[in-house]
Amino acid sequence: MSETTKNPTAPATPARSSEAAMSPTRRAVRQFFSNKLAVLGTAILVALVLFSFVGPLLYPTEQVSTNLMASNLTPGEQGHVLGTDGLGYDVLGRLMVAGQTSILVGLAAGVLATVIGTLWGSIAGYAGGWVDAVMMRIVDAGIAVPGIFLLLVISAIVRPSESMMVLIIGLVSWLVPARLTRAEALSLKTRDYVLAVKATGGSNTRAVVRHIIPNTIGTVVVNATFQVADAILLIAYISFLGMGLQPPATDWGAMLSEGISSVYSGAWWLIFPAGIAIVLVVCAFNFIGDGLRDMFDVRGQQ
Amino acid sequence: MTTTAVRDNSNIRLFGLFMIKRLVQAAVVIAIVSVIVFLLLQALPGGPARGILGQAATPAQIEAFNHEMGFDLPLIQQYFNYVSQWLTGNLGRSFVMNEDVSSLIAQRLPKTLILAIAAVGGALLVSIPLGMAQALRRNKPFDYIITGINFVVYSTPSFFLGLLLIMFFAQLLGILPASAPQGNTVGEILAQPKEMVLPALTSGLAGVATFSRYMRSSTIDNLHEDYVRTARAKGTAMKRVVARHVLRNSLTPVVTMLGYYLPVMFGGALVVEQLFNYPGMGLLFWNAAQTTDFPVLLGCILVISLATVIGSLLADITQFILDPRSRGGVK
Amino acid sequence: MNQNPTPESTRRARRAAEPAEVALQVSDLEVDFVTKNRTVNAVRGVSFEVNRGEVLAVVGESGSGKTITSLAALGLLPSTARTRGSLQVAGHQVLGSPDSMMDTLRGNVVSMVFQEPMTALNPSMKIGAQIAEAILNHTEASKAQAHERAVSLLEKVGIPDPAGKARNYPHQLSGGQRQRVVIAIALACNPAVIIADEPTTALDVTVQAEILELLRQLVRETNTALVLITHNMGVVADLADRVVVMKSGLVVESGPAFEVLRTPTDPYTQALLAAVPKLPQMQLEQREVSAPTVPDAQEAPRRAAGEEILVMGEVCVDFTSGTRKIRAVDHAELVIHQNQIVGLVGESGSGKSTLGRVPLGLVPLSSGRVELFGQDISGLSRRALRRLRSRLGIIFQDPGGSLDPRMTLGDSIAEPMIMHRKELADPGRGFRERRVAELIDAVRLPKDTALRYPHELSGGQRQRIGLARALALAPKLLIADEPTSALDVSVQDEVLTLLLELQQEHGFGCLFISHDLAVVHSVCDSVSVMRQGQVLESGPAARVLTDPQQDYTRQLLASVPSPDPEAQALRRQARRELLALGSEGK
Repeated sequence: MSETTKNPTAPATPARSSEAAMSPTRRAVRQFFSNKLAVLGTAILVALVLFSFVGPLLYPTEQVSTNLMASNLTPGEQGHVLGTDGLGYDVLGRLMVAGQTSILVGLAAGVLATVIGTLWGSIAGYAGGWVDAVMMRIVDAGIAVPGIFLLLVISAIVRPSESMMVLIIGLVSWLVPARLTRAEALSLKTRDYVLAVKATGGSNTRAVVRHIIPNTIGTVVVNATFQVADAILLIAYISFLGMGLQPPATDWGAMLSEGISSVYSGAWWLIFPAGIAIVLVVCAFNFIGDGLRDMFDVRGQQ
Repeated sequence: MTTTAVRDNSNIRLFGLFMIKRLVQAAVVIAIVSVIVFLLLQALPGGPARGILGQAATPAQIEAFNHEMGFDLPLIQQYFNYVSQWLTGNLGRSFVMNEDVSSLIAQRLPKTLILAIAAVGGALLVSIPLGMAQALRRNKPFDYIITGINFVVYSTPSFFLGLLLIMFFAQLLGILPASAPQGNTVGEILAQPKEMVLPALTSGLAGVATFSRYMRSSTIDNLHEDYVRTARAKGTAMKRVVARHVLRNSLTPVVTMLGYYLPVMFGGALVVEQLFNYPGMGLLFWNAAQTTDFPVLLGCILVISLATVIGSLLADITQFILDPRSRGGVK
Repeated sequence: MNQNPTPESTRRARRAAEPAEVALQVSDLEVDFVTKNRTVNAVRGVSFEVNRGEVLAVVGESGSGKTITSLAALGLLPSTARTRGSLQVAGHQVLGSPDSMMDTLRGNVVSMVFQEPMTALNPSMKIGAQIAEAILNHTEASKAQAHERAVSLLEKVGIPDPAGKARNYPHQLSGGQRQRVVIAIALACNPAVIIADEPTTALDVTVQAEILELLRQLVRETNTALVLITHNMGVVADLADRVVVMKSGLVVESGPAFEVLRTPTDPYTQALLAAVPKLPQMQLEQREVSAPTVPDAQEAPRRAAGEEILVMGEVCVDFTSGTRKIRAVDHAELVIHQNQIVGLVGESGSGKSTLGRVPLGLVPLSSGRVELFGQDISGLSRRALRRLRSRLGIIFQDPGGSLDPRMTLGDSIAEPMIMHRKELADPGRGFRERRVAELIDAVRLPKDTALRYPHELSGGQRQRIGLARALALAPKLLIADEPTSALDVSVQDEVLTLLLELQQEHGFGCLFISHDLAVVHSVCDSVSVMRQGQVLESGPAARVLTDPQQDYTRQLLASVPSPDPEAQALRRQARRELLALGSEGK
């Protein structure tokens, strides 16, 4: 297929028309689904989403008012599949409700972080010069302060609601996507097809909107999944440190945090389900992100 | 197409230029951090006075305090006062613990650093060979298994991981103690190695997952480079090529990443120290958050940011040493 | 045999008659690549041999299998390769040999020089150590001895200050110097055969001439066999004793270089040679020979010049790198008329690409005057400038990067029309689609190409699409920055023919930037020669390229290898004399 004078390490082969006729998007999707881990991740995610959102419809439990009479029951007692916790909440049901929070807040925060970061980074990368320098120093400063510390300080001032949590985590996490997008924009800016737009009288806006952003989508999407994974972990950490959501709202991290005091009492159902749930969902997002990254990489090499 | 070579500049001059540029950048970053911290201080409801005196203070007390501490001065002037205080090492005073913030931090910071060094050092020792081994056995079962394990470890919140480790090693096997070394001085801490294992392990495992992934992809990239082919064409056996050529070039991105890993590590320290009750900066910070002890909180943020910036600088310097290309001096 | 035996042909014949020692012997070599989806037959039965002290050129375009053959000789094929047949280096069978055995042969009995000098060396290891490694691998020498030998090797390959350079890192050396280092490594253990895979393709033409001179000298001194893999017929004519022509994994012709290059028998070889643009002989070279021996070099057709469409005067472009200011273009003058193709030639670092980007606004103008279509651009508003630029078309060198991989080819071609739809009074999608179809037809591609994506096309096809896009708005000035440099010779020929035809039809002016003087000669009306940011010489192509006024131009021309061995011998001699004159004058 190639007629260039560069040396191939494998011989040039003619493009097979059936395979080649697909648009880049369809080929990419096929590539994604051939990655076993990515498929596994997707399956786990779907399962957990169903569990958290459809579950309560099939297994309704009381998750707002406490019931101290039925506290600390072992799994199986009085119809509680996974027992109850110190305040009498059914653990399985609580897991579902907590899942809704973890997943939703994580998704929202992750997406917010990605959006802010991508815009910041593409503008910095495309503009270059001192605009870039200033914007990136701000990012450097933001990265220098560990997010958890900032979060804790803010939480010490005011205990956050769910939407505030999304906002705060988003504001703390946009820095890494900004860096990545900037690097992409820098490299794309010198591509010939972008130069051609400027050279023949096109505007900067056109170059950015029509050429740079569509070609960074790969990085952005990959990064978004990792951001969501990190956001879910971050919420868990905050809750563990006792600065998370106010009860009766809960997430998996808070459940785990409460369960830790049960380490010595052997009440495994207060610890493991929540912990494993967190691991599963974060893993799922990481697998998906990895699969997406491979998918975009291969296309880039073509 | 070729480029014309420029006469080789002396390394010293290059290093000098490099350091100046980086130091200026670092200074700017620290300045921005100081502004952030200052703004946070101002953003407290009721102003910094409320934060320091606590909820029970009366308006009159607050006003007097404000005047005494200069909180009613214009913002810019306050900022400069703060900066000059910070530059002389005065980070304020904790009214909750009745000690100078700087001395509190001076006590606690070394302990966190010890934990960090133990964790990161251990992580590097394991992940560098592991990552390389994975790269050399790419897409074989070994690679998949390790990748899978790395994913799971990376996805586990460190407190859960720590919990599991405690349950396994301390409760089940009973061979390691469940709480961290206690003591006031560094010496006392170092004298309790057994207690150090679980906290360091907890901190370090996540690092292993991250570093080995980086090492793996860096090694894979390098294995495809032309210079590897040249080395093979010379008759150098593959093992030697990896050890002599690939290793050093693959390390560079990992080392650079270390510098950026510091904030993650400090964040992790928060959690681990709380879990194991280890008297470091993280626990100090957490206690301060519980008691809304703002001078401590903000002093910690400042110091940690400083440490992070220095860490990045050190990482850049190491890259300068490891990768001659990054030194510049060529057209 | 030929009419008048010349010194060159006699020399070669004499060498061929000497008793031979076979350094490399290939018999019925077959190489397949087996993956789970399919099997590719890269090499399908190739046989040749090379003796010590002999230079064999293996010629072919991409996909011919020439590189695979060379990798097979070193046992460096990927794991998906399956080989059959026989391949022996100095009597040792290579195919099927275990790695441990190959480790003792590589660098010792057979060694290799690769194409890309910029990436061939370990960036974090000193030059001397890298050469010494080859020696330490195969001899009992001590580290100190190996290092000494490394320094003497550096001297042998013509590196000035060898002891100092041995302590340097690769990035401190130029491309040409790095290639010499790679050659030094290949020579280190006195191998029986050196395989050089496109050793000069990535180098400037003057540097290439030096490296070829070096290789000739080394072969003579060390009696090593040299297998020279190349697609450049001029290089073959300069260096090779015998030639093997490969196509699609098979040998289609072989024989003494003289015969194959002057009187090829196979139609593929004939076509290949015909597609190579040739430079006419310089005045300097015609002194010795009475009758010209080069088939008439094709001259660009006569074209009548129209009005001035681009005038650049006293143009300077400066770049700041860190604290230093680099002057990329230094008081350059250039004028382009309607209906004229103006060539801009130079080596790397000459500033030709930078100068070409000035009218496009892609590089900042530090000082000077630029008039585009009669208007001084410095006074214009952004909108007016944009409108002016809509009459420009541009084609780039790299077919891989010039088209947005996410857009269909039709969309890429239509983009200029969409960008300027206000000026075109927004004719609407129907008009655009029709125009796209017209353009695709004009560049001789099938109609359905509009719906395809860049990755589905070959390099040459992508360049045609680039042309189509450049012509979308019927430009008055086309700027072509090395448009065919990345293409195979036969494809280059097609694209250039297309360009000339389109120019004939539309009458646009064209700035043709290239490092390839022969291509410029076949395409351009006038030519400007650049060096280190300055325009040294300008004038009608026919004149500048046969009777240049500047020494540098003469040297440049003398460095371009001619595909005719006889002519090349003369040119080589002319170059040596020029260099001798140059150094005497200092």
